[in-house]
Amino acid sequence: MLSVQDISLSFSGVKALDGVSIEAESGDLLAVIGPNGAGKTSLFNCISGVYQPQKGDVRLEGDSLLQYSAHDIASKGVARMFQNLALFDQMTVLDNMLLGSHHLYKTPWWKNLMFGKAARREEIEHRERIEDIIDFLHLEQYRKMPVGILPYGILKRVELGRALAMQPKLLLLDEPAAGLNSEETEDMARYILDIKEELGITQILIEHELHMVLDLADHIAVLDFGKRIAFGSPDEIRKDPAVIEAYLGGEEE
Amino acid sequence: MPTKKLVTSYEQDLKLFPDMWHKVGLIAALAFLLVFPMVASAKWVTIANLTATSIVGAIGLMILTGFAGQISLGHAAFLAVGAYTVAVLGNEFQVPWWLGMPLAGMAAALVGLAIGPFALRLRGLYLAIVTIGLLFLVAHVLHSFGDITGGVSGIAVPMYTGLGDATFDAPWEFGDYEIPFEKKLYLVYVTIAVGAALVSKNIQRSDLGRAMIAVRDHDLAAAVLGVNPARTKIIAFALSSFFAGVAGAMFAYQQQYITIEPPFDLNMSVQYIAMIVLGGIGTTFGAVAGAIGFTVISPLAESVGRHIPFLSENLTSAQQSTVLFAVVVCLFLIYEPLGLLGFWLRIKRYFSAWPFKY
Ligand SMILES: Nc1ncnc2c1ncn2[C@@H]1O[C@H](COP(=O)(O)OP(=O)(O)OP(=O)(O)O)[C@@H](O)[C@H]1O
Ligand SMILES: [Mg+2]
Repeated sequence: MLSVQDISLSFSGVKALDGVSIEAESGDLLAVIGPNGAGKTSLFNCISGVYQPQKGDVRLEGDSLLQYSAHDIASKGVARMFQNLALFDQMTVLDNMLLGSHHLYKTPWWKNLMFGKAARREEIEHRERIEDIIDFLHLEQYRKMPVGILPYGILKRVELGRALAMQPKLLLLDEPAAGLNSEETEDMARYILDIKEELGITQILIEHELHMVLDLADHIAVLDFGKRIAFGSPDEIRKDPAVIEAYLGGEEE
Repeated sequence: MPTKKLVTSYEQDLKLFPDMWHKVGLIAALAFLLVFPMVASAKWVTIANLTATSIVGAIGLMILTGFAGQISLGHAAFLAVGAYTVAVLGNEFQVPWWLGMPLAGMAAALVGLAIGPFALRLRGLYLAIVTIGLLFLVAHVLHSFGDITGGVSGIAVPMYTGLGDATFDAPWEFGDYEIPFEKKLYLVYVTIAVGAALVSKNIQRSDLGRAMIAVRDHDLAAAVLGVNPARTKIIAFALSSFFAGVAGAMFAYQQQYITIEPPFDLNMSVQYIAMIVLGGIGTTFGAVAGAIGFTVISPLAESVGRHIPFLSENLTSAQQSTVLFAVVVCLFLIYEPLGLLGFWLRIKRYFSAWPFKY
């Protein structure tokens, strides 16, 4: 479904990614782990079109994404949660999530000037879909609040909801549990599993919380200094000497 | 007690006037607009027309700067394009005003579209500085086509009605009763201003407005969400300059004789920025309230300035109103950064919690 082929990305000398390849099958939950600065976020930036890798290719269902700009990639079904929240503070939870539906709107822009029947009908259709997501993430009570006043744990959920509102085929989650307490982390893990099992959306998860990753993921890729040093099932990763050396520091089992 | 009505359907959430209190407010506002010209003196009807013009222009700038986040100091250039479009069309082809107004908007929108691609490469203050260039460019072009624009000496702006040679400045007469030019204008201008506010509100509450605000606040995140930032900014430019063009036409028809600069200079651009800042960036309410506040403050300041000892002795009345206005804007920036909007929100919150204080 997604195939990242041998990509390299460098910033004036710093090699953020160095010949990284990963594959995700449809419905997969793939985790990407690695120490700080390993290039995990850079990998997401290359997939979602924020950066162009200097070498290699990124293919979604066989279609090379490098030819598209970020907003086109979004409408092809790639949604993303940012590591440092990128919500719109002055908009309500609802409006943030409706913005996720932006690429699904069929009403031509100028019809919004009158906001007549057709435009309203479409708005309501999307609203109904968003309400299902609000339900799913238990955000009912926050729906009309501006995002800027909500606590961090809720914001992470809102951002997940906004990504889901895009009706993605591929969902990129950049440390969705960072900064959450253990209860919130558990909720987040639950949501991620539900998204996999109920919605069947392919997910790539960057996470520092190792136990969460080992529990949830079908496959794990390990990055270190921009290189992929291991790839396999959680069991294989647990035993991989290179991983134990670089990341687990030998402490695990 | 104005409590909130229970919302039972999503349609209800989309209504502009969802409950009784909104409807009461709407009717009161309409009644005020209708009664105003009957009771106000000629001077205040003229001020009302200037206000309506400012509202349309401020809405234009609000769409570009307040919604889409593109700071422009070239707003006056688009008003100039609109004003000179109706002046030239009237003089050369006797084009009636009701056709001239939309054409003025379109001419300005075309100029907006033409500079859009350049503006896309610039951000923030760079854009602001480059748009000053547009101001000089438009003034220069208007000066160099002096034989049709009148150059430095200016040009008369005939307001044809489309019925032969008849012009709009002849009063309507009903027996003994007569409606003079400014009051006729008032009917037209208030309608246009209300229409512009509605369109702006529709932008604000629809997908288009959300996209603009997303581009304003975080254009990279907007792009990753599927919003095309370039396209969104271009649409904002086109809509903004359309409204500016219409405002320019309104200004020209009311003045009946226009020159290039003043009035279409940097000063006018800055005044429009002051209006949207005073009103509160990012909402239609802010544009309307800011325009009203700004246009009404000047004549008020002139009457007040006379009684302030130091000001009245040393400054001309225009300078007095500038100083007082600057003071008011500074006070707002310090105590109410959301502008008149913040003021309004506070009043609304007070009443929705009434009789409880919190
Ligand atoms: N825009 C940029 N300009 C310059 N260097 C960058 C940029 N983005 C990332 N880098 C560098 O690329 C390397 C990889 O960064 P990246 O953000 O991908 O790491 P990460 O694995 O996500 O780390 P973390 O766990 O801290 O989020 C780092 O050395 C970083 O300094
Ligand atoms: Mg990162």
